[in-house]
Amino acid sequence: MTVVEAPPPLPVRDTARHRAPDQGAREGTGGGLSPMLTRLAAERATGVLVREGGALYLADGLVLHAESPYAPGIGTLLTASGAVPAEEWWTAAGTAGDLPGTARLLLAGGWLTRAALEICHLHALYDAAYFALAPSSSPGRFHYGPPPEADGPLPAVPVAAVEREVLRRRALLHRLWPDALLDGVPLLRTAPVAAPGVSARQSAVLALADGVRTAPDIALAQGRRVFPTLVEVRRLVAAGLLGTPPPPPAAAAPPSAPPDIDPHIALLKRVRDALEAL
Amino acid sequence: MPGIDECLLEAMRLPGARGAALVDWTSGLALGVVGEFPGGDAEAAAADVAELARLAAEQPAFAAVPAGDAGLGDTDPPVEDVIVSNRDGYHLLRFVPAPFDSGAVLHLWLGRADGNLALARIRLGEMAGRLVLG
Repeated sequence: MTVVEAPPPLPVRDTARHRAPDQGAREGTGGGLSPMLTRLAAERATGVLVREGGALYLADGLVLHAESPYAPGIGTLLTASGAVPAEEWWTAAGTAGDLPGTARLLLAGGWLTRAALEICHLHALYDAAYFALAPSSSPGRFHYGPPPEADGPLPAVPVAAVEREVLRRRALLHRLWPDALLDGVPLLRTAPVAAPGVSARQSAVLALADGVRTAPDIALAQGRRVFPTLVEVRRLVAAGLLGTPPPPPAAAAPPSAPPDIDPHIALLKRVRDALEAL
Repeated sequence: MPGIDECLLEAMRLPGARGAALVDWTSGLALGVVGEFPGGDAEAAAADVAELARLAAEQPAFAAVPAGDAGLGDTDPPVEDVIVSNRDGYHLLRFVPAPFDSGAVLHLWLGRADGNLALARIRLGEMAGRLVLG
């Protein structure tokens, strides 16, 4: 009897959760992130590009703003740290209705300097763009929109610069520990005792790694930027202090059961075996 | 109220200034760039600045002795500045105090012949203090 090996899996569009370990390296070295984004930048389109991991607001070849459920927004970064009282932020946001207007009101009220606003906005933009431009299993959609008001208080970034930075960050994380899965899976500390040589920032990450929270959850819980958290997570995993929780035991049982239940599959298997025996 | 670019332009008015940048030392991203940089590549220079800043900020040997545990937040960067000198220039890195997670560092490249390191260090410290805290 011949032993038949399982056929190689069909090529599928990779997702952030199902990626070959060497994927990051190939992505880190170059290649387009999103052909659609490149095309939209070339035609200087204005509107919102919505992808699986987030959205990019485009105008005239520039990225005005980016959002992602995995990255804390500028409001979270400013209010969680107490730089701007949450009440002031929400009052301004309610009055203005949009981000540039909110920023303008806070500037006028003297709650923060223009540089502080610019730094926070750029951090939020690049953090969200990292997730928005992550490999996705579904194509992005673009909604054309009206041009934004000119001369807003928030700096915009050329699309090419955002793409370059996302690739650079991916490569940087890949060098620390080559597993992009760590950006989105629950994390659990491996050693229960405090390890020597852990920075304050790293021990804060370890304290929140409870086997349920992912790296973005930890950043949101801290009200801090997500990219430095991703960096610390990769470094802690590389040091053996952090890992992913073992899969629940129930997950091991099901795969063996279904194949023989379906009579069609059983028949197909018999036909296959017969053909192979010829 | 000044933004990033105004701050960098102010730094460029210091005698001997050749290039100034605001760098995020956690990622190596240049948040703002004015002037020239060694090798002509501001992004590569920013990544190098971030490496050096991270080393200085994270090694316990360079940390200040804690003066009681009260109020040591993000407003106090672990290190004030890092100075690198070579045959033809000085590189001055100044950590920017901020109440939020800024990770920002000011980088100033001074020509050795006409740069005044002591003056630049004082001025850059003042600029970094004003940048976010106002």
